Amino acid sequence: MATLTCSVAELQSLLINNGGNTSIATETAKYICGRFDAISNNFLDTNHAVDNTYLLFSSYLVFAMQLGFAMLCAGSVRAKNTMNIMLTNVLDAATGGIFYYLFGFAFAFGSSSNGFIGEHFFGLTQFPSESLSFDYANFLFQWAFAIAAAGITSGSIAERTQFVSYLIYSSFLTGLVYPVVSHWFWSSDGWGSPARADPGTLLFGSGVIDFAGSGVVHLVGAVAGFWGAFIEGPRIGRFNHEGKAVAMKGHSGTLVVLGTFLLWFGWYGFNPGSFLIISKAYGKSGSFYGQWSAIGRTAVTTTLAGCSAALTTLFGRRLQTGHWIVTDVCNGLLGGFAAITAGCSVVDPWAAVICGFFAAWVLIGCNILAEKFKYDDPLEAFQLHGGCGVWGIIFTALFAKKEYLNEVFGGPIDRPYGLLMGGGGRLLAAHVVQILVIVGWVSVTMGALFFVLHKLKLLRISSEEEMEGLDLTSHGGMAYEYHHGELELLQKRSIEGTRIDP
Amino acid sequence: MASQSCAAALLGGLANVNTTAANFICGQLDAINQKLTDTTYAVDNTYLLFSAYLVFAMQLGFAMLCAGSVRAKNTMNIMLTNVLDAAAGGLSYYLFGYAFAFGGPSNGFIGRHSFGLSDFPSPSADYSFFLYQWAFAIAAAGITSGSIAERTQFVAYLIYSSFLTGFVYPIVSHWFWSSDGWASPTRTNRSLLFGSGVIDFAGSGVVHMVGGVAGLWGALIEGPRIGRFDRSGRSVALRGHSASLVVLGSFMLWFGWYGFNPGSFLTIAKSYGKSSVYYGQWSAIGRTAVTTTLAGCTAALTTLFSKRLLVGHWNVIDVCNGLLAGFAAITSGCSVVEPWAAIVCGFVAAWVLIGLNMLAAKVKFDDPLEATQLHGGCGAWGVLFTGLFATKKYVAEVYGSERPYGLLMGGGGKLLAAQLIEILVVSGWVTATMLPLFYGLQKMNLLRISREDETAGMDLTRHGGFAYAYHDEDDGFAKPAMYMMGRIEPSPEANPL
Repeated sequence: MATLTCSVAELQSLLINNGGNTSIATETAKYICGRFDAISNNFLDTNHAVDNTYLLFSSYLVFAMQLGFAMLCAGSVRAKNTMNIMLTNVLDAATGGIFYYLFGFAFAFGSSSNGFIGEHFFGLTQFPSESLSFDYANFLFQWAFAIAAAGITSGSIAERTQFVSYLIYSSFLTGLVYPVVSHWFWSSDGWGSPARADPGTLLFGSGVIDFAGSGVVHLVGAVAGFWGAFIEGPRIGRFNHEGKAVAMKGHSGTLVVLGTFLLWFGWYGFNPGSFLIISKAYGKSGSFYGQWSAIGRTAVTTTLAGCSAALTTLFGRRLQTGHWIVTDVCNGLLGGFAAITAGCSVVDPWAAVICGFFAAWVLIGCNILAEKFKYDDPLEAFQLHGGCGVWGIIFTALFAKKEYLNEVFGGPIDRPYGLLMGGGGRLLAAHVVQILVIVGWVSVTMGALFFVLHKLKLLRISSEEEMEGLDLTSHGGMAYEYHHGELELLQKRSIEGTRIDP
Repeated sequence: MASQSCAAALLGGLANVNTTAANFICGQLDAINQKLTDTTYAVDNTYLLFSAYLVFAMQLGFAMLCAGSVRAKNTMNIMLTNVLDAAAGGLSYYLFGYAFAFGGPSNGFIGRHSFGLSDFPSPSADYSFFLYQWAFAIAAAGITSGSIAERTQFVAYLIYSSFLTGFVYPIVSHWFWSSDGWASPTRTNRSLLFGSGVIDFAGSGVVHMVGGVAGLWGALIEGPRIGRFDRSGRSVALRGHSASLVVLGSFMLWFGWYGFNPGSFLTIAKSYGKSSVYYGQWSAIGRTAVTTTLAGCTAALTTLFSKRLLVGHWNVIDVCNGLLAGFAAITSGCSVVEPWAAIVCGFVAAWVLIGLNMLAAKVKFDDPLEATQLHGGCGAWGVLFTGLFATKKYVAEVYGSERPYGLLMGGGGKLLAAQLIEILVVSGWVTATMLPLFYGLQKMNLLRISREDETAGMDLTRHGGFAYAYHDEDDGFAKPAMYMMGRIEPSPEANPL
């Protein structure tokens, strides 16, 4: 690489008064321009370093959400099924890693390709790709997203699903169903993508604005979970013979809160990280406002939606039940995050507060409906990720701001923006299409899969197993053993008697 | 930066410019140069600092993993050891550990500058580098605590931990990571071992084997926990008290490993030649994160199915251990192998762990965290793996060209030979230092706790009480009145454990 130093003596000797000697002028030009070229390359290097740092650390944060979800799941189920659900979470990540590497990433982002599915980068061949600006950090980031989607579904079918079924659906979802959806809305080739190269082919002149995936991730996971839970039926004892709901409380409020906070923490990679690069100026260089600002704003909208949803849920549930219930507040919080995920980058902070407020009511409403229809979802995953995910998609179509849309998605065209911001109805139309298409695609693929598994008697566990708990029957024993040795000894040696009271 | 218009402007007639203009232009170029240098330092330090925080998060993970893997009555004890690894390690590594490891210029055996960070910062080492290395040092000490858990006196713990973090480990890291180390691949002033140096990028040998071998001796000298092997010599599972903590801890370690492996590049803002500006050290770093991920995933899946075949059920604890074994193994070669090779690494690591666990049971070796088998055994596999699969291109990127590379990639046997030397030398050195220490402690009755302490649990006898109190003393109001009677046992020796 050429040096950045500049030698005065050298330059001067070139720039002497020479009466217009062309060859000397050429030398001068070459010298100075050579230096500028070196600077330019150095800047490019720096950009790449900064952007990769940003994307890698965002990926690590999204990965931390696996941890959070594992804890949330564990705390939300009964103790006798803890080993089972945590194993499903570990394996989401592990199987997802292999399948997404082998073909999931290719189906999702393998450009150039058709609008339905990707065609390159199987096993990460011909990677990294300079033309597409895809480096390994991109792969890692997208992998972390893919395993998030599969995790969501595990919540709906918890406590009553055979482990083999679990492995099968998880691989299928992470390796095919999810990548195809992400291709549609996030690849520059996707039919519904807002980043299509030819603006004339954008869906409704707009494309779908699902920035970090209320639809692509949350709705996909939720619809898959719905079919699993629906086909399996409710857990034994969840609805008594009169049809009334019986609360099946999770075994650890602490784990639920820990998991929720870790998910919140990781969401700072999930939403702001979806910008993929941070060192980009918006317009003129040298201004304090650039993509880094939009990223910061996205972190703020994410935060506000969660906070607002949490508070609304707190008071909403207090009105409904008379109590302040932390586990419900946690679910409300997550519902807010799931909703803001679609529009986090293109709405104002005040709009995010509205988003969270309504997300809380959507969740409460969906839970009431679920009980009415005797639909049992141990993690409320369908209500939360599905219901609040759908709300988030609609919300974006209502509140997306023109200025932010142009920043984030750019393009030579004037993009349709939020209906309530004066942007017309085309964005909303595109978003309705997104909802329908995702529900349709995931229902057809995952619904069919779950149905086949059910018919093959591979889906639900037996009622004996369910009563005993999966940990004891299939996972080598209970998760917890708080007393050991001497207390058991004491119990063996003693008789407990109960006094008969008048 | 448009060099086209620059050329056009200059050709237009700067031929008559004089000294002032020359000074001006050069001054501007110098200023830009300096700003770029500033930026590079800022970016690199950001990268290294956040990587260090991630490695530190592994302490959290390991604390949870340990806690969940031991019985409830020893939870306070093992978590305290984890906290103190970090705390005592902070002091000893600051005072002399870092100096022994990286204090150059020095000889090939041990460092001798920067005691108490006296000459910090320097162009070659800033505080972020110290913090990063400290986070590594306390990781090594943590590993050993797993092997001797549930039966070690706290005083012995403090002694061995300071010795390991302040002396034994730094010297090993000097050999393989300092630019003076006799086996280091970055050696500048003298010849490389076998013309290669040892490639242990993030420490399968330097960290994991050191911790594992130290743990081996501690556990061997102490002997198994009471009840671990019954009278006929059969294994009795002494299950941990919380699988949730084990999973939490494992995931936290996975998360932190993204600082451990990719972070070991130390800088991110470095281009690899001029040919393609898009590809630089940042790409290699991303690739390292991918190889790390794939090795862990593969090891986890392999363990899942293997244990299902072997014992008939799907066990999350085993899968977590398998996962960590994959990470421990890929740590050595993560930066110099292809992603597909990482899959191979993880696959073999899972089987190495299963095999070593069987061996341990056979020879009645009790390691509550399987730390020796996992970190020692799979760490050694990882060191070997690098000697087989390191690619020419990546070795050249990271260490320089014309180097020996992986045997199975056509690179000859020199790198593998160097890796073998590492395994032998690390095992030998740690044995020579930690074995006498543990033996001496045992002889002075300072190592293992008493039988009574072990039965009651150290939390009750030494650490102020149990970790968990799920029922409060004033619960009695709600309970129906009960009384418990003690049955008279025929033999006082009867121990159901």
